[in-house]
Amino acid sequence: MSQRFYSRRELLGRLGGGIAGLGFADLLARQGLLAASRSPLAPKAPQLEAKVKAMISIFCYGGVSQVDTFDPKPELGRRQGEAMTGVGEIRTVMGNPGGLMPSPWSFRKYGQCGMDISELFPHVAGHADDIALIRSMHAISPAHGPALFQMNTGSILAGHPSVGSWVTYGLGSENENLPGFIVFTDYRGGPINGAPNWSSGYMPAAYQGTPFRPAGDPIVDLQPPRSRGRDEQRKWLSLVERLNEKHLERNPADTELAARIHSYELAFRMQTHATDAIDIAKESAATRKLYGVDQQPTEYFGRQALMARRLVERGVRYVQIFSGGGNFEPSWDAHWDLKGNHDLHAAETDRPIAALIQDLKGRGLFDSTLIVWHGEFGRLPISERMDGRDHNAHGFSLWMAGGGVRGGTIVGSTDQYGYRAVENRKSVYDFHATILRLFGLDHEKLSYRFMGRDMRLTDVHGHVIDEVLTAQPA
Amino acid sequence: MTRRLAPWLLFAPVLYGDEDLARRAMDILTRNCLVCHGAARTSGLDLRTREGMIAGGSRGPAVVPVNPQRSLLYRFASHEDKPSMPPAPAAKLSDEDIEILREWILGGAELLGAGVAAPIGEAEKKAALARLEERPITDEERRFWAFQPPRRQPPPPVAGAASIRHPIDRFLRQAIEARKLKPAPPAGRRTLIRRAYLDLLGLPPAAEEVEAFVRDSAPDAWERLVEKLLASPHYGERWARHWLDLVRYADSGGFEFDVDRPDAFRYRDYVVNAFNTDKPYDSFLSEQLAGDEIAPGSNEAMIATGFLRLGPEGGGAGELGRQDALDDLLTTTSLTFLGLTVGCARCHNHKFDPIPQKDYYRMQAAFFSTRPVSHSLADPAAVAANKAENDRIDGFQQPVRKAKTDLEAPYHKRLIEDAVGRLPGYMQSAWRTPAGQRSEGQRLTVRQIERTLAAGELSKKLTEEQVVATMTREDKIRHRELIEQLSTLSRQRPAPLPTARAIGEFGRQARPSYFLHRGSSDARGSLMTPGVLSVISRREHPFPAPPEDARSSWRRRGLADWIASPENPLTSRVMANRIWQHHFGEGIVRTPSNFGKLGEPPSHPELLDWLALEFIDKGWSVKSMHRLMMTSRAYQASSDDIAFNLEIDPENRYLWRMPRQRLEAETIRDQILAVAGTLDRTAGGPCVFPYINPVLFQSSTRRTWPGKSDDDPSTWRRSLYVFSKRSIRYPMFETFDQPNLVNSCDRRNRSTIAPQALLMMNNNFLLVQARHFAARLRKEAGENPAARIERAFRLALGRAPREFERVQAAAYLAGSAEGLDGLALAMFNLNEFVHRQ
Repeated sequence: MSQRFYSRRELLGRLGGGIAGLGFADLLARQGLLAASRSPLAPKAPQLEAKVKAMISIFCYGGVSQVDTFDPKPELGRRQGEAMTGVGEIRTVMGNPGGLMPSPWSFRKYGQCGMDISELFPHVAGHADDIALIRSMHAISPAHGPALFQMNTGSILAGHPSVGSWVTYGLGSENENLPGFIVFTDYRGGPINGAPNWSSGYMPAAYQGTPFRPAGDPIVDLQPPRSRGRDEQRKWLSLVERLNEKHLERNPADTELAARIHSYELAFRMQTHATDAIDIAKESAATRKLYGVDQQPTEYFGRQALMARRLVERGVRYVQIFSGGGNFEPSWDAHWDLKGNHDLHAAETDRPIAALIQDLKGRGLFDSTLIVWHGEFGRLPISERMDGRDHNAHGFSLWMAGGGVRGGTIVGSTDQYGYRAVENRKSVYDFHATILRLFGLDHEKLSYRFMGRDMRLTDVHGHVIDEVLTAQPA
Repeated sequence: MTRRLAPWLLFAPVLYGDEDLARRAMDILTRNCLVCHGAARTSGLDLRTREGMIAGGSRGPAVVPVNPQRSLLYRFASHEDKPSMPPAPAAKLSDEDIEILREWILGGAELLGAGVAAPIGEAEKKAALARLEERPITDEERRFWAFQPPRRQPPPPVAGAASIRHPIDRFLRQAIEARKLKPAPPAGRRTLIRRAYLDLLGLPPAAEEVEAFVRDSAPDAWERLVEKLLASPHYGERWARHWLDLVRYADSGGFEFDVDRPDAFRYRDYVVNAFNTDKPYDSFLSEQLAGDEIAPGSNEAMIATGFLRLGPEGGGAGELGRQDALDDLLTTTSLTFLGLTVGCARCHNHKFDPIPQKDYYRMQAAFFSTRPVSHSLADPAAVAANKAENDRIDGFQQPVRKAKTDLEAPYHKRLIEDAVGRLPGYMQSAWRTPAGQRSEGQRLTVRQIERTLAAGELSKKLTEEQVVATMTREDKIRHRELIEQLSTLSRQRPAPLPTARAIGEFGRQARPSYFLHRGSSDARGSLMTPGVLSVISRREHPFPAPPEDARSSWRRRGLADWIASPENPLTSRVMANRIWQHHFGEGIVRTPSNFGKLGEPPSHPELLDWLALEFIDKGWSVKSMHRLMMTSRAYQASSDDIAFNLEIDPENRYLWRMPRQRLEAETIRDQILAVAGTLDRTAGGPCVFPYINPVLFQSSTRRTWPGKSDDDPSTWRRSLYVFSKRSIRYPMFETFDQPNLVNSCDRRNRSTIAPQALLMMNNNFLLVQARHFAARLRKEAGENPAARIERAFRLALGRAPREFERVQAAAYLAGSAEGLDGLALAMFNLNEFVHRQ
């Protein structure tokens, strides 16, 4: 898809401004003129009234157990060790079903809404009245690969654009000096499937997620080699700019050539902006303490959560943070030792997530930001390998918070064991439709033409989950 | 694309509406049960109505609503109880079917109108369903341009310019003059040779070749240049890349484990050789679809069938996984060879094109019997010797393995007892309860403990290291000895013999495949015979009967014969358009894999038809088409804008000039290596792994990327040879819009984004190659800065620097610390360098 980023008129106007002989600083000064041009990430108006401008997705990779976090089931304690009956055949991924296993954690009610949350998330629980909890989620596949793809792209198959790609495609980015869609992976490694989790699928590369490192240079290849200092770099860029501008004179109407010149200016600015965006040394001691960045076990996730806020503050459209990485032990995938596993991962994330909500509120950003928290599926109420839980796509919980979200809401429920969503069942398509709606995008109208078909994030499915919205859409 | 609708098959009930579920359940009963338990009322059971189900037969109620476990229908169908139903020799119902029945009973076993209020006969039901399968094609639909045979028309005369003789130019000129556009003047020689090199080889011309061509005043200088390039082994490398985009080639399987395919490169080399030897396109496509049937015993043809195994694998298991893989194959086949989205007809008739769902399943029938084959490229004697040697080593290893297990056993047992002692009380009491007295839950618990701790292979919960740790000193030594014996023996195994990923079948008899209502394998319709697109083939296309000694059904051969036929209106048009696309930037049809209603109509329909017929007349020779296109004036025209034309045709749809194009990722990289003088021109063979920053793939703990340093010359091969791993893509390629290796790609995105600039400025590969380029300049141009600048421009751009450029470059060399390295890197970053003009 060769894209026309500039209209001819804009370009001619730009050239009228004169180019040859200007220094790089002068070129930068002309950015105001260029900002009006249509780069693939230039901001676009939403189709409907938008509630939020940005989103932070907290992805608990491996699958969080709903019955140990947000969906209490006393029945598991009353009937511990008994077979789970009355729910039909139980198919487990690992093929070793046990009896019902009680949660090792206790629950209590939080907030004015009286939401039941387990002791794994005491800090998040403090924001119960900000959270819209969906207890009746279900997904298609109980295998990590397809389920991750579904949660991130809508399809269980590879090759589709991720939610972040759809949102940046639909709305552009408010800060061209940073990528519009940024991904943080867990320090133990990223989720399986790898980069296709944040790929732009069949869309242009402009909409793919950019992995950010939370220390040093956030982006690979962001900085020049040490031998090339800032001044050297300016000289070098100036040479490239001048030669390219001269080349452009031959075909001044060529928007692609002009866009490529512009991309070097953006890259240069990104070097400082990206580094600055993750520089949490600039945060106050109180803020750092809030996120737990100077202590274990919250240090790593806390840093990422804080960086996410800094990025959103700077106009980044979509930030995704993965908690849990690699396979088996280091992720939420608690096939055994559920207690140790969820204790660890919850302790790493609970406080930073609560801090993020509080901090966004303090800065007046909460109402324009959407926070979502989920895994790719839930876990079974029965035991696996004696003290773990196997995958379960039939029922699980997730929550949303932020602008346009009705806090203190609980949507739907699972059966007596927390196995299967039974009441007011919500699909991943519904979840995605709701995210787009909060951004002011209509999931049935936001489409991208590929191979002769208008593709959608929600394919031919999906209904906005009105219950979690503060106001019914017009 | 409609295959995206189908994933519900795997865990179907999750997405069902109640009515849907009822209908599906009734379909299953109709297909499997009603012959006996319908009007015949075998055992007194009549499953045609809900009342009949609940009333049951001689064994009791068949269905207890909401309780599958108490429903005999479910217990018998799931083989949880005997007698198993349906009775042998009928096969057990598929897991999906059983799950649907369970869900449906769980939901109350309501029929919601899906049932048979007034029971109808089997035959009527079948007839009703069969009617749903038919979707006649109208004459109007057949008249759509792409389904009509190409029309032979002579190139039109050009009014104002008798000197325009080339047929392509005559077709193009007509449209240009009709719109009063000014045709661009011819391009300069330097531009031309660079254009030809980049288009045909994907590599820049050497500076000396440029000068020689500029000086060559013979009238056939251009024709000789084109011939020289077509004879270059690099030509196949360049054009294979276009093909590999279409067939979504990769060296790994994708999905969670993204398993490497170390043999996949043989298919890639096959494609390179096919282009280099100018294999006629009809043979080329036929070999890929049916090489095993067309040329049995030919290694080359078997390697070609690797096409059928290029798709991702590992996404889903069972019937759904099989259907998804077949869909991916059928989708890719139809996009690539026919330029149609037949894949859209998986679940329903195509919404826009006259492609009935039945065509989809008839085409699927051609592929349905395929199975993966690892085709040995070694001779049979070597294969036998290899097997004998492996068997011999197996024989030695077996007793050692047993000794090891025996040694571990008592220690293992003790560890199990310890572990059980640490379990919660209710689990321990389950363990202690005598087997006969355990409740259902206790039975599950005990089985879980056994399988967790005492599985044949030591489970992750209890590792071999833990067991060894509890051993006595003597036993530890003995254990180590046994392990060493095993590995010593393993090291003696012979190296694996070379194999190719290929396709075979189970025999002459095709496996039965069916029309699937709504794309669901639970809703089988009629048995399908192989077929082709009915909008094109009015009469039944004859599929050949396999000869007596055939090892396959010859259905793919039948399909290949139809696609490769000169009568097929799509095949030659689609390929001629693709060749055009890669010379002229865009196809005559700008949606090269979609010639259907939602595709774009051809900008020059007469020209397209003429080219398609020429292609067939010239024996499907791709090289002839290059000659034909490149000798046109249009191809040799300047790419510079003409202000006057921009107002009329800003997009250059009518080709008044040659389009300028940003080069693809691979060509940019290859060009850098060539200009730096470091390119390793070795052709073919296994892939290379250039460096990727581990930050970008730490995401794959089970996957590796054995990347070598940027300084390692063995990685300086052409980009075609870089390993294509579906989950770990080479960042430079990914950033510059390489397709995603999963979907067929007919036309690359060409986006311009800041990360591309960052990579070109800062990536270590670029810096290393810039240093080599600088070293080359020092060596070839000596100490004089002006000479170095001159040489830099001639090598990188095939021309001397202009005055402005000389001044700028000289000022940079004089005033910067990076000096020549910096200038070398700047050359790689020039718009002119990364564009073909």
